[in-house]
Amino acid sequence: MKVVGARIPRYDGVAHVTGRTTYVDDVRVPGTLWAKALRSPHHHAGIKSIDTRPAEEMEGVRAVVTHEDVPLNVYGHLSALGIPADEPLLAEGDVRYLGQPIALVAADDEDLAAEAVSRIEIEFEERPALLDVRKAFDADAPVIHQWGNWYPHFEAEMDRRQIRKGDVAAAFEQADVIVQGAYRPAAIEHAPIETQVCQVVPEPSGRLTIYSCTQALYFSMGVVAAHLQCSLNKLKFVGGTTGGGFGGKVDTATETMCCLLALRSGRPVKWRWTREEEFLCSSTRAPWHMEVADAVTSDGWILGRKMLTLHDAGAYARFSPYGLTKHSFHHTGAYSIPNLEFDGYVVFTNRSPTSAMRGFGVTSVSFATETQVSRIADVLGLDPIEIRLKNANRIGDTSPNGVVYTDPSTVSTLQALAESTGVELSAEYRTMTSEPRTGEWLPEHLVPQLGNPEEH
Amino acid sequence: MNISVNGVAYETESSPLTPLLDVLREELGITSPKAGCHQGGCGACTVLVDGEARRSCILPAAYADGAEITTVEGLGAPEQLSTVQQAFVHHYAAQCGFCTSGMLLAAQAYLNHGGTDDPSGIQEALGGHVCRCTGYLKIVDAVAAAARGELFDLTTTAVGKYTTLTGGGVE
Repeated sequence: MKVVGARIPRYDGVAHVTGRTTYVDDVRVPGTLWAKALRSPHHHAGIKSIDTRPAEEMEGVRAVVTHEDVPLNVYGHLSALGIPADEPLLAEGDVRYLGQPIALVAADDEDLAAEAVSRIEIEFEERPALLDVRKAFDADAPVIHQWGNWYPHFEAEMDRRQIRKGDVAAAFEQADVIVQGAYRPAAIEHAPIETQVCQVVPEPSGRLTIYSCTQALYFSMGVVAAHLQCSLNKLKFVGGTTGGGFGGKVDTATETMCCLLALRSGRPVKWRWTREEEFLCSSTRAPWHMEVADAVTSDGWILGRKMLTLHDAGAYARFSPYGLTKHSFHHTGAYSIPNLEFDGYVVFTNRSPTSAMRGFGVTSVSFATETQVSRIADVLGLDPIEIRLKNANRIGDTSPNGVVYTDPSTVSTLQALAESTGVELSAEYRTMTSEPRTGEWLPEHLVPQLGNPEEH
Repeated sequence: MNISVNGVAYETESSPLTPLLDVLREELGITSPKAGCHQGGCGACTVLVDGEARRSCILPAAYADGAEITTVEGLGAPEQLSTVQQAFVHHYAAQCGFCTSGMLLAAQAYLNHGGTDDPSGIQEALGGHVCRCTGYLKIVDAVAAAARGELFDLTTTAVGKYTTLTGGGVE
């Protein structure tokens, strides 16, 4: 135990301050071509025709690739978990978000590649776009996804992530007050200082060496192998150095496309997104729409919660079903609310596909829950920290999905918060612990949800 | 054109309007200045041109003709780190490291001009530099330590409290 609790110098600190850290953009391979993508200029449109020949005929253009050149064009980020695939690597027939890649070019330099992209002749038929999750369920909403406007493939082919726990109707009947709130955190771009970047080198052995800024190297390897329909031992991934990611480099944004261009041209290929591409086309943290209604007693117990969540997946599912599932498991935050009715939908819109960012699926619901609990304290005229302590998760309490808490830290965290901000807690809250509920901390409504921590 | 980078003279072939960043990275293979935005917005490409901090991504190479350029390689090698480099390591002021070259050179220019450990002066000097990992406090702490001339042997680390902006006490 030399390291736990100790402060040790960063292993990469000296390399960082001397310019010796090699990021993907710093890899130098002679003869490397530059890649560029033809991207959708529309939120939603049909592709009526595409002619790549004007680009192919340019001197210095070494490869042009469309969906026809991808061995397996449609492969989902969660395919390995049995979740059906919906997203094409390169658009086929239609485009569903502004910036969606349609065709790729590899040329002798960056300017030439950009020029070649601009020469591709393409005709669109613009279609109405859906940009607000709240309108996805309207009768006159444009249908923008082959599965409809929300994801229909949760377990047992349910079209939502649903949680039912306890007796919500009884909780709302017993309540002294119903407190409601709607919470709508916006999309956030990760904006790493290093934009998406990849360098692929075709090796004489037939393998591809892939210098990747990915945060999820083995995952990306699987995605590339699936699209290329090749075995994993054909791919040598070199990763580990990322110039900021924050979840934005979990999706496999560039690797597969660079591999296709390298295979087609037989040359090393590099693609570094511009800052504009990073903002417009990369995944973002999802915008969420959350409606919460809590059944509360006048002395501050939260008896039950009804919650509706609309998770904006953007144009394709990617990891969103997983993110929404995490969200649902955490939808009571750090508090024990025994009677629950939660419905969450993964909604498709014509926005850039959304993905992981620092606490995928959970930051949204933490924001909603914490704001909601403060609102309850306001409505009831109670202390905002004491109402949190009262409802805080304790050993033996259960999460929305039935996991028994064995080591919750809510109580000690709140006490530390009070101390560091100079809030005087009353004696009963100052001496509270996370030990299993007894006496005044075990009111009747919290009995049915108790589990046995010894069994976990 | 003739430029000198970290004391080494080069004759470059890039056209005069090529951004200095591309001359350094693509023609000379000096990769410590980073292309974070290529539009002058993030500061990751910052180098010293005759001692002044400049954004090399929007600086035409012709501007640097005959000039002395300094990149972080010129501040100090791993076995002989400069004061500000030592302070960045000690204070955990580099996380992913991508903005670090630019931060270090802006800090060095600030110190060259007599900058002190006054947090507002440091913030002013580094104001146009974007970092998405460390959250700036550690960087300001590091520059302040360098301004005070503090030296670190890299076996020690900061105590875990941000000091410069808060006056101590915030873990």
